Amino acid sequence: MITVLRPDYEQTAAPLSLTRRPLTLAGATIGIVSNGKANSRPFFDHLEELLRRHWHVADVVRRTKANYSAPAERELIDEAVRWAVMFAGVGD
Amino acid sequence: MTTAFVDGAQLMATALGAPGYGFAVIDHPIASATDSELARKAELTVTQAHQLLQPAVRRRP
Amino acid sequence: MPLTAETLAIGDDDHVQRVFLERGWTDGLPIVAPTPERVEAMLAGAWFGPDDLLGVEPVKARVLTAEKAAINAVMAGCLPADFPVVATAVTALCRPELLVHGATASTGGCAILLVVNGPIRQELAMSSAHSALAGADRASVCIGRAVRLVLRNLLDVRPGELDRSTLGHPGKLSWCVAEDEEGAHPWQPLAAERGVPDGVSAVTAFAASGPRQIMNEWTTDPVDVLTTVVAEIKSTMLHYSIWAGNYAVVFPPQLRAVFHGAGWSKADIRQFVYDHAVVHRSDWEAVGKAAVVSDTNRDRKYRALPSPDDLLVVAAGGEAGGFAAVIPPWLGPKSAAVTEPIGVCVDC
Repeated sequence: MITVLRPDYEQTAAPLSLTRRPLTLAGATIGIVSNGKANSRPFFDHLEELLRRHWHVADVVRRTKANYSAPAERELIDEAVRWAVMFAGVGD
Repeated sequence: MTTAFVDGAQLMATALGAPGYGFAVIDHPIASATDSELARKAELTVTQAHQLLQPAVRRRP
Repeated sequence: MPLTAETLAIGDDDHVQRVFLERGWTDGLPIVAPTPERVEAMLAGAWFGPDDLLGVEPVKARVLTAEKAAINAVMAGCLPADFPVVATAVTALCRPELLVHGATASTGGCAILLVVNGPIRQELAMSSAHSALAGADRASVCIGRAVRLVLRNLLDVRPGELDRSTLGHPGKLSWCVAEDEEGAHPWQPLAAERGVPDGVSAVTAFAASGPRQIMNEWTTDPVDVLTTVVAEIKSTMLHYSIWAGNYAVVFPPQLRAVFHGAGWSKADIRQFVYDHAVVHRSDWEAVGKAAVVSDTNRDRKYRALPSPDDLLVVAAGGEAGGFAAVIPPWLGPKSAAVTEPIGVCVDC
C-alpha cells in the first residue's frame, strides 16, 4: 500500500446567510448591476421596462461593475444593501 | 445567467457557501442577440425571478 | 509540525495514477505520488513548515498553505530545490492586482506565465536558450506544471468547471521561462527593473495570452525590428483585444545584438512601443468588427500600453534566429503582472 496526501482544497466554505426575501415589491427599489458587456444595456432596458410595468416598483437603479472579471466594488455592494432585490448576471 | 455559464455559477455558489443558490437562466449568447431576442430573454428573466422570489412575493394582477 | 492533509492508502502506483485521475486531481499526465516523505522533503527544500501561509486567493478566500503547494509540486515532478520558485509563484497568484480568479475563469483562456530571475536559475540549471518559451529544461517544465496543478486542485480551475476558457492555449499546461540575464548585458533583468535588488531571485507572474512570433532578421536597425513588433501588437489589438495592459516582448540574442549595437536600452524599447502601438476604433472596420464602430466613437484612439513601464521586455531564446515573441495580456488592464522576490521581503 502507498500512503499519499490529498492535493485538493479540503475546507468547505462557511454557509452564506441570505437576507430575507421581501414580501412585496410594490413601491420597492430594484437594482440592476450590469457587467457592461456588449448588448447588456438594451437587455437591461427591456428588463427595467418590464419591472416597472408588472412589479409596480418605485424605482429601478442601474449600475455597471467597474471590472466584469472581478467581484463588484465595495461601494456598489454598500449601495445594493438598500435595494429590495438586485438583478446581476453572467453571460457574454 | 446565460446557459453557457450555469455550471460555473453553480460551482462558484458552492465555493462561496451557497450551494443550490437559485438563479434565472436564459439562452446564450447576449452579445450578438437581436433586440427582439433580448426582449424575449428579459421576459423570461422576469418570469423566473418571480418564481424564485415566491412564495414571499405576490405580484399585483 | 505534522502534515495535516487527509491521507489515502492506495494499492500501488498504478492505482494512484487511476485514483488521482478519476478524482480530477491531475492534468492527464502521470504524476509522482505525493507520499508524506516526498512532501516533507519538498517543504524542506524551501525551509517551509506545512502550515506556513503562502497567500489567500481573494475572490474565493482560499487559504493556500505550503503543505498543499508542496503536494502539488511533488505531483508535478518538482525537486525540493524547485520549491522556492513554486512557493513564490503561489504567493504571486494571490496578489489582488493579478486577479487570478478572473484570469483563470475567463472565456479568454489565458495562462499564467512565470518569468524567473536571479541566481536560482543557475541553481536549478534553467535554460534561457533554445525553445525558451516551451519546455527548455526540467525545472521550467515542472515548476510551470506545479503552478497549473495548484490552480486546478486548490482553486478549482478545471476546464468546463470554473475554467470557462473557450479555447485556452498550450501555455496552460506549463509556462515558466528563465531570463537570459548574463547574455543580455548591459540590459537589466526584468525583476531588477521591477524593484527587486541585485542578487535576489524573483518570479514575475503575468496573465498572458498565447505568444505571437515575429521575424525580422533582415536589418540591423532597431527601429525596423520594433516596427515589426508594433505591427504584431496592433494586429492583436484589432483581432483580439483593443484594451491597454501589460504586454511582454521576448528577444533572443540575434535581435538583442541589433539593440546593443545601437545602444538601445530596455527603456528605449518600451518608449518606442508605447509611442507607436496605437490604433483607432475605425480600424476595426477592416477586420470584420464594424458592428461596434459608430460615428461617435470611430476616431477614438487606443494605446496598447497604459504607460511605457507596462511593457515587460524579456531576454531569452536560442543563439540563432531573428525571431521575437509578442505576448499579449489576457484582457487589457483587468490584470497586472506582479513580481515577488524569492525567500526575502523587499519592502518590509
